[in-house]
Amino acid sequence: MAIDKKATPRAMSFDDGIPQRQMRMPPIIRKNIENGKYLSFLTVAAVLGTWFLVTGMGWANPLFLPSPISVWQSFVEVATIGYQGSTLIEHVATSLYRILTAFAAACLVGIPLGVMMGTSRSAHRVFNPIIEFYRPLPPLGLYTLLVMWLGIGESSKLALLFLAGLPGIIIATIQAVSDINPNYIRAARSLGASRWDLVREVYLPGSGPTILTGMRISLGFVYTVLVAAEIVAATAGIGWMIWDAAKFLMGDIVIMGLIVLGITGMALDLVLKLVGRIIMPWTKLKTL
Amino acid sequence: MKTFILSAVTALGLSIGAAQAQAAAPEEVTIGYLNLVNAQLVTKSLGLVQKEMPGVKINYINVGGGGDMLRAIAGDQVDFGGLGNPPTAIGVTRGLPIQGIMVLNMLDYVEAMAVRTSANIKRLEDLKGKTIAAPFGSTTHYLLMKALNDEGIDPASMKIIDLRPNDIALAWFRGDIDAAWFWEPALGRVLEGDANLFMTSGMMTSRGYPTWDVGVVMNEFAEKYPDYVEKFVRAECKGIDFWLNNPAETAEIIAKELQLDLPDAARMMKGTEMVSCDEQLTAEYIGDSNKRGQFVDTLLSTSTFLFEQKRLPNVPSRETFENFLVPEYLESVVK
Repeated sequence: MAIDKKATPRAMSFDDGIPQRQMRMPPIIRKNIENGKYLSFLTVAAVLGTWFLVTGMGWANPLFLPSPISVWQSFVEVATIGYQGSTLIEHVATSLYRILTAFAAACLVGIPLGVMMGTSRSAHRVFNPIIEFYRPLPPLGLYTLLVMWLGIGESSKLALLFLAGLPGIIIATIQAVSDINPNYIRAARSLGASRWDLVREVYLPGSGPTILTGMRISLGFVYTVLVAAEIVAATAGIGWMIWDAAKFLMGDIVIMGLIVLGITGMALDLVLKLVGRIIMPWTKLKTL
Repeated sequence: MKTFILSAVTALGLSIGAAQAQAAAPEEVTIGYLNLVNAQLVTKSLGLVQKEMPGVKINYINVGGGGDMLRAIAGDQVDFGGLGNPPTAIGVTRGLPIQGIMVLNMLDYVEAMAVRTSANIKRLEDLKGKTIAAPFGSTTHYLLMKALNDEGIDPASMKIIDLRPNDIALAWFRGDIDAAWFWEPALGRVLEGDANLFMTSGMMTSRGYPTWDVGVVMNEFAEKYPDYVEKFVRAECKGIDFWLNNPAETAEIIAKELQLDLPDAARMMKGTEMVSCDEQLTAEYIGDSNKRGQFVDTLLSTSTFLFEQKRLPNVPSRETFENFLVPEYLESVVK
């Protein structure tokens, strides 16, 4: 979006053609419109509008695509009364606990491992086969084995989410560490930096932005396996709620659950970006 | 010139006729069957549907439980399916485009609650604080809730989890669960170990909660190819007759289909009651085109219960269930 101001031809900006009304707008809003900052809202409005139209005109079977109003009603009902013993907040909290625990573990393991693999060729050779092997395995196939080993409780769910998040972080970290300009390392070494100094002063600051991108992508992978992880023997969680509601053909709750899941995912991504801006002010992150 | 036009018209007519004849036969028929011990396995193994429908490709899809079958039906992935009374109640209430055409089986101890012997469970009350598994949305989940409800036990006093039959067996051997209400063949594997039969679906039948599976067809398929629905029913009726008349051969077929030992297959067979097709038209089952049978009552009480459990938004009228059951195909097969 940053390039828009220069790249947009004059003819397309808003103060051509319909001048009077646009001129009265506060300058900040006008500037934002010219920059295309409100385009995202337009997208959301268009999707919502199409949804209202399709369901309102009766073009879709309400079993598969319920109206936005009935989805909203199911939201209110699950938020206040609950779904099968837990309220929406409890379902969200259960899932977020699983996601964040597994994601934190993936970061705690993945980033040091990635730094090691990026800086030492032998470490890379030791760990790479394992990661490259399990990375493309479908989560459900992996899950069957995890359930056999770890049981139907919380640990198999966390393990699946952890394994989903791990490779992205490791690969991004390896890439980030190997991309560091070797001159920086030589310069630091010539100034007497130890190996630990190098990691702390050169590798981590230099690779931070790419690692952060890897973390964001990883979080997405963790989200993609959430429903799979909560299919087996869960009694709460957004993923379980979606799965269970689908069994009873409650399309409104399925869609509501997906929207809630999506919003929490966006919120977590935003938090990651903000944290990145605060601890790595030198990076050029585009927010929103 | 005249002859030319005439022959052209005739050719056109012929080709339209041929196209219509072709449209009357589906290219392929997809049958979703439950992972269960009933005569559908016989029909499948003997290729009876194929014999009724020469030239049509027959696909069989194994479906884990009622909840999955509902999804397969909602997703239009099958032409014929099998549903227990709770998923049927759910599907009909939700307006799935299906009709019930025959009884697949009545459930006795082929579905049962197994309890871990060492967990010392003597009464339903002893389940408090334990972990119990059942495939949600299925007949057994329904009966579990009914049984607890009848004795006034709060389901929240125990942990009831949703697992498919095969996953139940897995969790059982790991020691993750103490009780489970599910069905053969997975049930048999569990019963070989530290387990005993605590309650059967047949016992619940005598309490007034019969459970059964009904064969369903998609409305669209039935409208397009009514003859083929009849052919399907005829094939399944032959399978049921084979089951009733040749128990020894049937046990061999079941053993082969489900990779079981012969004695296990024979035992499981006794836990399922097959109803001959002419009997299915009596008041105890589907009933006939003049007056529907007790299946309507079962569906009505099942949906009432599911409504109370907040699994259904409303209870459909008696008429809705009467219309769902279509005995006409059975009638013309039996005639």
